[in-house]
Amino acid sequence: MDFISHDEKTIAEMLKIINVPDVDDLFQDIPKDLIIKTLNISEGMSEPDVLDKMKEYGNKNKIYSHSFLGAGCYYHYIPSLVDFVISRSEFYTSYTPYQAEASQGYLQAIYEYQSVISRLTEMEVANASMYDGSTSLAEAAIMASIISGKNQVILLEGVHPDYIDVVKTYCWGQNIELIITSEDKLNDVLNEDIAAVMFQSPNFFGDITDVLVMSNKVKEKYPNCLLIQCMTDPTCLGLLKPPGKTNVDIFVAEGQSFGISPSFGGPGLGIFTAKKKFLRKIPGRLVGKTKEINGDREGFLLTLQAREQHIRREKASSNICTNQALCSLSALIYLVSLGRTGLREIANQNFQKAHYVKKAIASIPGYKILNKKPTYNEFIVRCPNINGLIRECKKMNLLPPLQISTYYPDMSDVVLVCVTELNSRSSIEKFIKAARLAINYEEERAD
Amino acid sequence: MDADECLIFDKGNGLVQRNFIPKLDVKSKRIDEILPKNLIRDELRIPDVSEVEIVRHYVKLSKINYGVDSGIYPLGSCTMKYNPKINEVVARMTSFSQLHPLQDENEGALEILNEISKMLCEITGMDGFTLQPAAGAHGELVGLLIIKKFFETKGIVKNKIIVPDSAHGTNPASAKMAGFSMIELQSNEHGEVPLDHLEYAMKQGDVAGIMLTNPNTLGVFDRQIKDITRIVHEHGGLCYYDGANLNPMLGICRPKDMGFDIVHLNLHKTFSTPHGGGGPGSGPVGVTNELIPFLPIPCIVSTDKGIICNYENHDSIGRIKAFWGNFGIVLRAFVYILSLGADGLKRVGQIAVLNANYLKTLLKKNYALPYDRICQHEFVLSDKYLPNDINTEDIAKRILDYGFYAPTIYFPLIVNGALMIEPTETESKNSLDKFVEVMYQIYNEALNEPEKLKNAPSNTPIGRLDAVIAARNPILHD
Repeated sequence: MDFISHDEKTIAEMLKIINVPDVDDLFQDIPKDLIIKTLNISEGMSEPDVLDKMKEYGNKNKIYSHSFLGAGCYYHYIPSLVDFVISRSEFYTSYTPYQAEASQGYLQAIYEYQSVISRLTEMEVANASMYDGSTSLAEAAIMASIISGKNQVILLEGVHPDYIDVVKTYCWGQNIELIITSEDKLNDVLNEDIAAVMFQSPNFFGDITDVLVMSNKVKEKYPNCLLIQCMTDPTCLGLLKPPGKTNVDIFVAEGQSFGISPSFGGPGLGIFTAKKKFLRKIPGRLVGKTKEINGDREGFLLTLQAREQHIRREKASSNICTNQALCSLSALIYLVSLGRTGLREIANQNFQKAHYVKKAIASIPGYKILNKKPTYNEFIVRCPNINGLIRECKKMNLLPPLQISTYYPDMSDVVLVCVTELNSRSSIEKFIKAARLAINYEEERAD
Repeated sequence: MDADECLIFDKGNGLVQRNFIPKLDVKSKRIDEILPKNLIRDELRIPDVSEVEIVRHYVKLSKINYGVDSGIYPLGSCTMKYNPKINEVVARMTSFSQLHPLQDENEGALEILNEISKMLCEITGMDGFTLQPAAGAHGELVGLLIIKKFFETKGIVKNKIIVPDSAHGTNPASAKMAGFSMIELQSNEHGEVPLDHLEYAMKQGDVAGIMLTNPNTLGVFDRQIKDITRIVHEHGGLCYYDGANLNPMLGICRPKDMGFDIVHLNLHKTFSTPHGGGGPGSGPVGVTNELIPFLPIPCIVSTDKGIICNYENHDSIGRIKAFWGNFGIVLRAFVYILSLGADGLKRVGQIAVLNANYLKTLLKKNYALPYDRICQHEFVLSDKYLPNDINTEDIAKRILDYGFYAPTIYFPLIVNGALMIEPTETESKNSLDKFVEVMYQIYNEALNEPEKLKNAPSNTPIGRLDAVIAARNPILHD
């Protein structure tokens, strides 16, 4: 199967017009000794054979009936119309909309995406998307450094550990000094030479920061220091005060929660927003509204391209070219499908269900909730028998919570529990039962 | 704008039945009992719109958008080939789409990552791959960081990168993001790298290497490629292959054999995954044995005990994306390679080049072809000899009027008024002939009715848009 429509006769006709005797002659510029005979890859397969093979691979992945795992990738319900709309092949088989007049549909959709993200975050400018939350945060650090002309940034503990690692890599690339510290020690390390303070809220452990208090504290002494907030599950914005109302300068988030399936962690969606005064330093594509040159009709196009790599080359604010357009379309359809009412209700349910589980777990002897601040749909628990808990969850067909030791080896008995609107009452009861049985399991072993 | 083409925000009617949220079946509390009031948001300016209205709105928008499934999409260097539907079916299988990146019992996914890495090694000749990068430019950044780390580890300071003027715009921007400054090398009259200039630049001593696209953006295969990589290596540099133009090389020749140390691929170009209107893509990076220790973490390693993930790698550049890269895209590319097999891949390379040369031969009758030689996957025309002051933009906009998408325009920069055309292997002869017919017709109009081109497009949902006003007073949201 090769998706090519020429037969041998057609190929011969075309070669005649090109005026070469053979297809091989089209490769005459390539030194002879570089031409290979054949690739050591198996023969092509028919559709049914490919599907059979892929099912075999799929069967080696375990999909559970319910999940208590989040940590940067979340199970939320995806309305059926999301996939229907993004599967319109006029959308998914198109390229970056360089020719605006033949791409008005997508351009308007991206404009609507920018609008809906602005409305949700109350930030003044949203770009047309980045790769994911982690790279968005890294690009935000670079952007802050460019804006301020300073090359030190602070990152507060509690940012997703993968994101911290990505920021480290990008900062090393740009010779930006990254200072990692805790919120308590922020005052000790803040000074005139700091470009930005980066933090996550709700953070990796679930804690919600009072962002306004923090931004006031930072800005009071250092009004030019930028505040960069990131978020891994922005469904909480249905209830939480948005970054645009808490004096955040750059807000980034992983948008996977908005209608994008987990898919082993990618593709997701990098949400990138900023205050308007930083518009010309923002990385990535932007869609703007304008008018016809010879008419009055309004239309949409890629704008402010002078910031971008294909125009400014080595002077560009970022090297982003391909972004996550189709994922931003998913997010748009998701957000308008839920609407104001649905977004508030989703956030409410995540809060309510997670707090229900949190309280129930806390009441089981031996378990201790470690969060000191309010939480959204994730929280951390010290367990009396973590292996028992993981085992009991799996037995009940529940995807177990994250063992924090995956990232922090010295926190060996702590799990990060995630509860969303998809956790039904019965799955929650099973989880609580698993937590109880895990203790018994330990007692049996002790005997 | 027509009243019925309004924004989704104009459609809200308030009272909407929500079908997307399960019933809350646990005992709930008042939200201000579990959350301090000052953390709670006030208004949320997102409308409530009914499902029917949403679907109709976006179906309407899709109808004023052009994709590969609409017709030929001859954007040069973008490789807009057909996106097989089976890729989409597999990506939506629950066993892949619902897999969590932090769960165990993921052997199927890891096996796929391992298998496709081996296939990409075979296709490019390289020794190891990372599938982490989310796009081509992301792959470039990773490749350059590997170069940076390689020299850092050796304690050698090399902070410059050579980029020919025929390179993609992302190359210089990526070099800057990795902390390199750029030396631009002018192409010679054949569109190739001048060896004497290259040698002179490499002799400066602080040059870490070269970024090269081959075939380059003129669609030309650099005949001296082995000398280029030899010269760079002789002066202690590394050679980076921008794989954006790999399509015509499939099954024909391999970057490592040309002498390259690092290569990035665009799975959304060469390996048929959909462009999605500008993403998501995937930009795997392949390296030689010597550079494997510098690949980003986590790495997939095949051992006697099965496939494991390596998170510890002392010399690694570090992490460059959360989790595993764009797995859903890698998966589609894997399905494509399985479908085509070795012979199919070779046919892709052959027919991509056949189609480009066929179009080039027919179009050069009317349009200037500055580099007139056998091309690979694409070729570049110029507006140089067009009558009545007709320029490249006029041609492009008039093509839209005939219901096709336009080629890449004003790129590469080394050709004035460039029209860069890449048909790909999936266009039939019939489709190519129709495109040629339209281009002839447009040429005749340029001669006899130039105002038709100057006023183009007139047959699209909207006329030519004012980019100057848009940039001067940006309106980026409603």
